[in-house]
Order: sequence, then C-alpha cells, then structure tokens
Amino acid sequence: MLRATLKGMASRKARLVLTSLAVVLGTMFVAAAMVLTATMEKSVSGVIADAFTGVDAVVTSAEDPAAAQGNTPSATLIPADVLDTVRGVDGVDTADGDVSGQVNAIGDDGKLVGAFAPTIGFNWNDQSTGYNEIRDGRGPQADDEVIVSAQFVTDAGLSIGDTVTAYSYSADRADYEIVGVFGLSGDRDSLAGETQMGFTTAEAQRLLTQGENAYMTIYVTGDAATGDIADAIGADYRVQTGEEASEEAAEGFAAVADIMGYIFLGFGLVAVFVSVFLIINTFTIIVAQRQRELALLRAIGAARGQVVGSVLAEAAVIGVIASIAGLGLGVLLGWGLSQLVSSSAMGGLPVELEVPPTSLWALAVGIGVTVLSAIIPAVRASGVPPVAAMREAVNPPKPLRGITIAGLAVTAVGGVLVALGLTDNLGDLGLTGFLTGVGIAFVGITLLTPILSRPLVALLGAVMSWSFSGRLGKLNAGRNPRRTAITASALMIAVALVTGIATIVSSFKETTAELADQNLDSDLIVMGQQGANIPTFAPETLAEIKALPDVSAVGDMYGEFFGAEVDGRQTALLASEDLPTSLGIFSGTVAEGSADLPDDGLAVNESAAADYGVELGDTVPVTFADGTEVPLRVSAILDDALLTDGWWVAPAQIEHFTVPKPMQAYIQVADGADVDAVQDQVDDILADEPEVSVTNNADFVEQQTSQLDILLNSVQILLALAIIIAIIGVVNTLVLSVLERTRELGLLRAIGMTRGQARRMITVESVIICLFGAVLGIAVGIGLGWTVQQALEEEGLTSFALPWDLIVTYLVAAVAVGLLAAIAPAARAAKLNVLNAIAYE
Amino acid sequence: MSTASPVKTTAVSAEGVWKAYGTGEAQVVALRDVSVQFASGAFTAIMGPSGSGKSTLMHCLAGLDTTDRGTVHIGDTPVTGLSDKALTKLRRDKIGFIFQQFNLLPTLTAEENITLPAAIAGAKADPDWIKKIIHTLDLTDRLSHKPTELSGGQQQRVACARALASRPEVVFADEPTGNLDTRSGAEVLRFLRTSVDEFGQTIVMVTHDPSAAAYADRVVFLADGQIVEDMTEPTADKVIDKMKHFEELVAAAQEAAA
Ligand SMILES: Nc1ncnc2c1ncn2[C@@H]1O[C@H](COP(=O)(O)OP(=O)(O)OP(=O)(O)O)[C@@H](O)[C@H]1O
Ligand SMILES: [Mg+2]
Repeated sequence: MLRATLKGMASRKARLVLTSLAVVLGTMFVAAAMVLTATMEKSVSGVIADAFTGVDAVVTSAEDPAAAQGNTPSATLIPADVLDTVRGVDGVDTADGDVSGQVNAIGDDGKLVGAFAPTIGFNWNDQSTGYNEIRDGRGPQADDEVIVSAQFVTDAGLSIGDTVTAYSYSADRADYEIVGVFGLSGDRDSLAGETQMGFTTAEAQRLLTQGENAYMTIYVTGDAATGDIADAIGADYRVQTGEEASEEAAEGFAAVADIMGYIFLGFGLVAVFVSVFLIINTFTIIVAQRQRELALLRAIGAARGQVVGSVLAEAAVIGVIASIAGLGLGVLLGWGLSQLVSSSAMGGLPVELEVPPTSLWALAVGIGVTVLSAIIPAVRASGVPPVAAMREAVNPPKPLRGITIAGLAVTAVGGVLVALGLTDNLGDLGLTGFLTGVGIAFVGITLLTPILSRPLVALLGAVMSWSFSGRLGKLNAGRNPRRTAITASALMIAVALVTGIATIVSSFKETTAELADQNLDSDLIVMGQQGANIPTFAPETLAEIKALPDVSAVGDMYGEFFGAEVDGRQTALLASEDLPTSLGIFSGTVAEGSADLPDDGLAVNESAAADYGVELGDTVPVTFADGTEVPLRVSAILDDALLTDGWWVAPAQIEHFTVPKPMQAYIQVADGADVDAVQDQVDDILADEPEVSVTNNADFVEQQTSQLDILLNSVQILLALAIIIAIIGVVNTLVLSVLERTRELGLLRAIGMTRGQARRMITVESVIICLFGAVLGIAVGIGLGWTVQQALEEEGLTSFALPWDLIVTYLVAAVAVGLLAAIAPAARAAKLNVLNAIAYE
Repeated sequence: MSTASPVKTTAVSAEGVWKAYGTGEAQVVALRDVSVQFASGAFTAIMGPSGSGKSTLMHCLAGLDTTDRGTVHIGDTPVTGLSDKALTKLRRDKIGFIFQQFNLLPTLTAEENITLPAAIAGAKADPDWIKKIIHTLDLTDRLSHKPTELSGGQQQRVACARALASRPEVVFADEPTGNLDTRSGAEVLRFLRTSVDEFGQTIVMVTHDPSAAAYADRVVFLADGQIVEDMTEPTADKVIDKMKHFEELVAAAQEAAA
C-alpha cells in the first residue's frame, strides 16, 4: 500500500509542491520566531557580559533598581563615603562610582538628539575605558568637556571640536566642548541605538544627582568576597558578583527579545492556521480526483483503514519533507531577521546564531498540522463505495445544512469567548480568551462560507459575466461551494486580520480627531513628541506666547506623573497658570466651587472625588515627588471631561514638581487673525525650545496617530505572508480544477473556444474566489474591529470609523491577486492538448 | 436514399494524408496515404476494426490534429497549415462535433449547451433554427435541465442539437451511439438521418455498429490506416457481410502497401 502511495505521489509532483509550500511557509515562520528570540538573547547577553568583563563585584542600592531609572532622583543613590568604605575593604583593588541617567542634548538642527532612544549621560572614568574604545580624541578633563559616542555623532550631526548644549530635568543648560568620540567594543556605535555623553564625575553629578556627591553604582575589581563588602557597607546596599549583575542586566534585554519572538510566533501561527485550509482543500480535491482509483482499490479488496492510511501516509510524507525544509529556511530567516534587528535597532550588535531545541516544535507543528488536516479528506476517501469504480464519477454537491449549523454554533462559541475576553470576565486570561475566541470564530465563519458563497459568488459573478467566458468562469466558481469557500477562507482570514486592525486604528484616529475637535477650543498646540522624557519648555516662553498680540487666550498644562500621592495613593498631579482659562479651552466646566484656586486649593473631577470620597471643602494630604507634604483643600469640583480629569493644584505648588515647566500650551488665536501667521510667530519663539514645536489641530491629530500607522504597516507586511499562502491556495485549487475539468476544457476548445477565452474563463473564476475571500474578510474584519471598539468605548475609544482607503486597496489587491493566481492555471488551460483532453480514458 | 441535394459539391476532402505516432521502433502509422471526399448533404459512416485509424482520420479532417503529409479541405478552406487561432475559428464556425460521451458542460442547462458555440463566438444563434432542431429532437420540455438531470440518450440528443445549432458545413460524430441502448441510439441516428434529408446537413460518423452504419448513404471501411472499401447504399446485412471478409481485405491492403 505504501509503495502505491509513494508511486501515486511521484506522479503528482506539481500538486505536492504546492501543498508543501504552504507547510514550508508556516513552519518557516514558527522556526524563525524561535531562532530570532534565542539568537537575540544570546547576542545581547554576550554584549552585556562583555560590559562586565573584569568587574568582580557590583554595588547598588537595596531599593528597587527600577525606581532608579527615569526622571526622579531617588533614595537609590550611593553617597561618596560608601565608595571610600568599599575601597577600604580587604581584597578590593579598584572601586569606581558610576553616575548615569538621561540627559537632553541639542543637536545641530536645534532639536533634541535621539527623540526616540534616550541620550545617556554618565561619568567617564577609568572603568569606562574597559568596554568603550576611544576612537578619536580623549576623555573629558574639565567640567565643560565631553566625550560622545559614535552614535551621538551620527544623530546629532556634531563632532569633535564642536560645542554641544546639554541639560537634564534638574540642571540648566550648559555648553560643552566635544573632546573625544568613543565606540563600543566590537566596533559598534551603540548598544541599541542610544546616544551617549561622557562627562567628568562632578559634571555628571550636577546633571544627574542634583549635585549630590553620590553614585548610582559602584564597580569593584579585586578578589574581595561580596560578603565582606556587604558587611562593610550595611544592609542599605546590594552587592552582586559581576556575573550575577551581568545576568540580571541581560534579563531585561531578553524580555524585549521575547516580545519580538512572540510577535513573530503569532504571525507564524496565523500562517500555520491559513495553511491548514490549503492542506485540507488540496487533499479533498486529490481524493475527489482519485475517487475511482480508491474505489478500485476497495473493489480489489483494500480495507477502509488501508485507504485512510494511504491518504494519511501521503500527508505524513509531505509533512515531514516540507517541515524539514521549513525548519531549515526558518533558521535562515531567523538569522536574517536577527541581522536586520541588530543593524536597525541594536547599533550593529554582532549576531551569534543560536538554534534553540524548541525550534524542533516547528517540525512537530508542520507534520502535525499536515496529518491532522488530511484526516477529514482521508476518512471521506475511505467512504468511497467500491461500485464507484464502475460508475461514472458524478459528485453531486453535498447538502450544506450540517456544515452551516456547525458553523453557526462554532461562531457563537468564538463570539462568546471574544466578548468574555474583552469584558474582563476572564481576568488575567482576557487576552488569551480574546485571541482564542477570534481563532474559533474564524473556524466557525469558515464553516459558514460555503453557504455564503452561493449568493456572494452569484453577485460578484454578475459583475464579471459581461463576456461569455466570464460567465462560464462564474459558473465554475459557484460549482463547488465548499471548495470555493475553503479556498477563499485563507484569504478571508488574512484580510480580516488586517481589516480588523485597520478598523481599530482608524477608530483611534477618528476618536483623537473628534477629541481635538470637540474638546479643544484652540487653534494651535505647543507640545513635543513623547520620547524618553516628557517634553517641556520654559515658563518664560509661555509668557512670551501669551503676550503675542493676535493670541486671545492660552491654556497651559504642567504635570507630575511619577511619585506624587493624594491621600496616600499614587496619582498624577496637574497644574495650570490660569486654570479658569485653561478649563475654557479644554472644554472643562466647574460643577461646584471656583476654578480660581487659592494657593492651598485643589480641583478634581466628580468621579475622582467620588473615588477618593472627598467633597468640596475637604482637606486632603498631598505629597509631591520631592517629598514635600502639604494639606490641600478641595475648592473646586469639575464635571467629568476628557481632558480635565485628575487632580489640579494651584500655580503656587508648581515649584514642587520634578519638572516645574509647562508641557503643553493650547493657543486660541484672536478672531480675524491669521492662524498660519500666528503659528509662524510661535515657531520663532520656540526656536530656542528643543523639546517642543507648534502644530495646528490637523497636524496634531496626525502626530498623535503616526505611531499607529507604523504599527498598522508592520502588521500588513507580516500578514502579507498569510496572503502569499492564500495565493498559493488559490493557484492550487485552480490548477486542480483545471486538471479535473480537462475533458470539459477539451470539449470547449474542440467546439471553438479560443485559448484567450479559456484563459479568461479561469481568470474570472480566480478573481471571483479572491474577491469573495476579500469581501468576506473585510466584513469579518469590520465586525472584529467593531467588537473591540465597543469593548474599549469605556476606556475612551468612543468613535467607530472604517478605513475606507484601505478597504478599497484590499479589494483592488484581491483583484490583482486573482489575476496573479490565475496566470499559471490559465496558461495550463490554454495550452491544453485538445486531442488528449477529449480522448476517452 | 440520398435525394436532398441535386448538385453534389465536396464538403470535406483529404488528399494523400499520412499520420504516424511516435518514432523509431515504437512508431505506429495510423493513416497511410488516405485520400477521400465527403459530398455535402451526405451521411457517411466510417468503419473498421479497433486501431484502424478511424478516430485519427476524423481528428485530422476536423482540424483537431495535424497531418504529417497530405492536405485536408473543409469546403474551400485548406485546413492544413492553419494556425491554432484559425483552426479554432474554423471549428467554431464550420464544424459540429458529437463525441461518444462528455459532450456537455455540467454547469450549463440543456438550452445553454445547445447555443454554446454561438455564445463562444459572441454571436446570437438563429432562434427559428434552434427552435426547429429542438422540436425535431423532442427536447422542448428538457431545455432548463442540467446535463446530470438528463438520461444518456437525452444528453446525446442535446449534443446533436448543439452540433447542428450553428449550421456547420460538416458534423463529425465519433461513435455517437456507442454508450447508448438500442432505442436511444436509434433515436439519435434517426435524427442524424433527418438532418441530412431535410436540412441538407453533411455528416461524417465513426461507428462500430453495422446497424448504425445502415443509416448512412455511404460507408468507408478503414483497415490498418488505409481505405479498403467504399460502399454506397449500405444495409446492415451488407456491412456485416463485408466485415466477415475483413481479414482478407486487410491482408490485401497490407500486400498493396508492401
Ligand atoms: N496519441 C497517440 N499516440 C500514439 N499512438 C496513437 C495515438 N492515438 C492513436 N494512436 C494509434 O494510432 C492507431 C489508430 O488509432 P485510432 O484511435 O485512430 O483508432 P480507431 O480506429 O479510432 O480505434 P477504436 O475503434 O478503438 O477507437 C492505433 O494503433 C493507436 O494505437
Ligand atoms: Mg476511435
């Protein structure tokens, strides 16, 4: 039996190649995801281990190290006398204090250097030269000198000999002369795209520790036991060996690599999911075509089990070969992607290929999916009665009732899971529930596609039947609803996913636009791109803007986002120089009291007040991030509104904010004044404000949503893979259909159909199948997007908007895909040898 | 029997046609130097043992296959040397086909199958003519049925109607009754006869069945790729009688060839 199977397979090479391709692509992405994750982890930990070479012990504050990052100076500093104590411990050769944190540097263009990756400032000392290599010049010897990383030179457009201006959240601007340029070991410009500036220790402390003579970390060399060091400095500090510290640092990076891996794995699984349809379809058609052969086998005595076995054996052979190929290609792809990630985001980190044992899972997935997909067709094959060998094989279309009922039930289950996942009923499993629900719903909708195909194919076909060959193509597409449906399903899933995401993105955009429209009574907005730090500008600049003759009013906002507490609970604090005016611009209204806050006044919106159980006139303890604690009195309750919700303190309290500078200004232009002219004037005022710029409302919305566009584009690129598999599915179905209808084609050609007409007939069939898949996918995607939008309505996603431009693009693309997929099958149909086709078997 | 056309022109003619399949040792000569004319308005049967080249001859005459040597004409049109496009157009406009089975497109109704050649040509079939054929073939109440809903005999009748729908210069039929029972077969043959007598149609039919051949005006016998006998006004008995002496005929033909 196996011999017969293998011989049969060898005679159907084209078909095998097409089926295998789907399995190959699916396994390839799964394997690539795993290789990428492992390779990045290994490469990153290699680099980090490099950074700790020669370091025998590391001293940090015992406080949560996470708190040491960000803007806040904290209790995590190590005073200079601790460094002296460490130096005194037996066995310690050297001990260097390290100061590092984020700084702002102004580049050649007047704006911040490295808007998306932070600029890191640190103290350049002997230890710094361990893994940094000076490429040019020297380290800083005076407080107004700086050595910068090679990446800094690239990003800032400044180099050795130039003067650079830098500051931090707590230290004013100062000018520095660039006296040196360094690179990282391995000839890299940066670790992960960041820019770096090395200062003298005193200057680094002025910038980063508010001038305190303290450090963030102490690096120790020598053979002193970590226990001895710990004993000497006490329980406020944590002492690790170099190795431990390196592992801990690597873990942070590993998490990033993991996320990337999961994303690829997700797309790999979508690819696998789509391949399932292709494999089921191929085997179903193969079985249908081999019906007489199988019936003959049954007639001459093969058992049902042997027939099932023969089909499954074929699937297993395909699965094994294709999965191995997929694994191999996946390793290559994973390696390539690692290179790409490294060069585009990790500053050219040297990549060490790592193929983890888990990538063997890709093999299991590929083989398993192929064999499982073949089970239904195999069982169906075994049901072929032996008499079918004698009869003319007529396959009357099977009734669709059963499959439709099953489809409705499965879709309902999926829908319920999606709903549960989105409504927090599943707790931590919410996302898993949602994704599983989406998967199940897709299966359900797929089961419904045959019944949907009848009216839809008729409708789509009606558009194409202007020529007779088009009409024949339409009839062929409607001929086997199951086959058409399952072929279109692969495309449906891919299109549904992108449409769903595109719908959510466009709803976000619409919401943002409406927000700006309805809630903002301003014409121009001054704010910065949210990067590593919250962008701010000088209060004097705000005053200058307010003083412009054509500006009628300015709403402003100061903010404290970390470390502040109200009534013992962590929360953000807001402030405005002129709250009544700002409320007017932000469409906020006062419910009780007055927005003209006294110095100890506090304004809060209704729901927050209810949440904290405070009323007008109550006194509440407020703690600022700098430690100041003051009792403030609620002197205004605001109606709930999108932009004004939260706790507002009086202008007098702004001095306690970590960054006592305005973050945003909303400018109302006087009636009759030219908005563009005012924008130019504000732009001039902002010439010396590197962190912010002025935009009009339309650009503001555009800016706010630009990141979403990037997300959408990446999703589209990755889902192109699923679309490729779907195209292969369409090609496969068409090739098989052409084979199956050889005699019909022969007849048509014999009675006068031209090659061109034959080609057109197949092409129309292809386009209809693709359009059907796209239309269905768009409908499902919109449904998916709508569900998510409804679920997020409470969280502020209030508008629902369709991505019309993309929908049209997908429809046009579906037609293009249909034309493309038809090329080979149509050529085959056209080249058909009429004589062979009509020759009786 | 042939009384329909007073002036006999030639509908199809073959001149010294040779056709071989394969090369070298495995070469099979299917047709050797076949010359034959088919008068228009006549019903000709081609008979011969299996493998004698009947189908090959028909395919070469109908422009479905190319000849190795010799020429073929349909009416005044030389078939030999035409491009695929021209051949396709020739088949569409001047030739009707009836095959043994699989004559119809399963997606189309009987009526659509009948007007298929016109539809392919992008033309409208002559409705009066179609009505007449349908009436003659007694298919009036089967027109909206799909082929799977028709009996084998009905399917072949639909195929006959289609072959005649575009009033071709000649209809080629390869064992049109091969798959039918005697009664259905007789119906089809009677229609073919009628179409010759009443409409002046030219028909060339390959058959194995002496009683089918008896419907024709003339029978051409083929053996080993050569025409060995040409009989006019055949009857079933005459044909059977001829077939009994076939071995002698073949031997004579082979001798002649040698
Ligand atoms: N495509 C082909 N390749 C090789 N040989 C062929 C091919 N077609 C026909 N032949 C050979 O040519 C000869 C004539 O075949 P043809 O089909 O014309 O016979 P036939 O008279 O129609 O027979 P039957 O009554 O069995 O249909 C046979 O020997 C056959 O084997
Ligand atoms: Mg034959």
